[in-house]
Amino acid sequence: MFEPLDKLLTNPIRLMVMSVLIKVSDCDFNYLKKITNSTQGNLSVQLKKLAESEYISIAKSFENNYPKTKLKITKKGILAFENHFKNLKKYQNLDL
Amino acid sequence: MNHSKQLSLINEAINKTKEQLKPTSVNFIFWGLLISMMSLIHYFFSEFIQKTAYSSLFYWTTVPIIGMVITVIYNIKTSVRLGYETHIGRALKLVWGVFNIAWLVIVVLSIFKKQNPVQEILFLLGIVLLISALLIRFTPLIIGAIAVISCSVLIAILPSINVLLINAVATFVGLVIPGLSLYLSKKHV
Repeated sequence: MFEPLDKLLTNPIRLMVMSVLIKVSDCDFNYLKKITNSTQGNLSVQLKKLAESEYISIAKSFENNYPKTKLKITKKGILAFENHFKNLKKYQNLDL
Repeated sequence: MNHSKQLSLINEAINKTKEQLKPTSVNFIFWGLLISMMSLIHYFFSEFIQKTAYSSLFYWTTVPIIGMVITVIYNIKTSVRLGYETHIGRALKLVWGVFNIAWLVIVVLSIFKKQNPVQEILFLLGIVLLISALLIRFTPLIIGAIAVISCSVLIAILPSINVLLINAVATFVGLVIPGLSLYLSKKHV
């Protein structure tokens, strides 16, 4: 049975963010910016979308007077990512 | 974006976010050298270190606590520079945090019991090293952990053995050698 792919995760930046967050316990904004090779504005928009769907949690704080944004994947996010990955594998087999 | 492209993006992101084991190896080398040196200094200058009833206790608590502060600052700075903490990194941090607390409890209890804590500390160190070695899947550290546990058993079997020399050997074999080997390896988890 082929399920439709999660549209939220078909965006390359959002997919990369979720792939990083699945591996780490927490991660900061600048690291994601570096990994995704995206602009601050674009990344913020994509992160907001993921947070609104409760796939990630965003914690903002101050460190040495500088704002710091820490991100974590939620349980809902883990399930969504795992499901998306399984579906991708199924579709990839079909492509072959 | 097609399915293969999505899978390759996932792969790329996961591969870029590797567990950095160099800072972990620096911790092992630092602690191995510190405790080995402390043991040897105590052994060769025992009259000075054991001058009063509490001088050796002061020596064995003050220096390691300073060491803990240095390693905590180093690890915080490394974590900030890296920008992420992996699940393995978090597990290692928790395991060694618990070890530090257990080490303090053993030292304090040994004062009340008027007993040398080296055997208990070495056994605990060996177990924590073994957990760390299995987490990062690094064979030289597994061997080092077994060596430390063996040294602890040796103290129990041969009570007349010099615990300071055994402590120096155990920390060098269990921490410095695997630490250097981890530092020089290109291993990532």
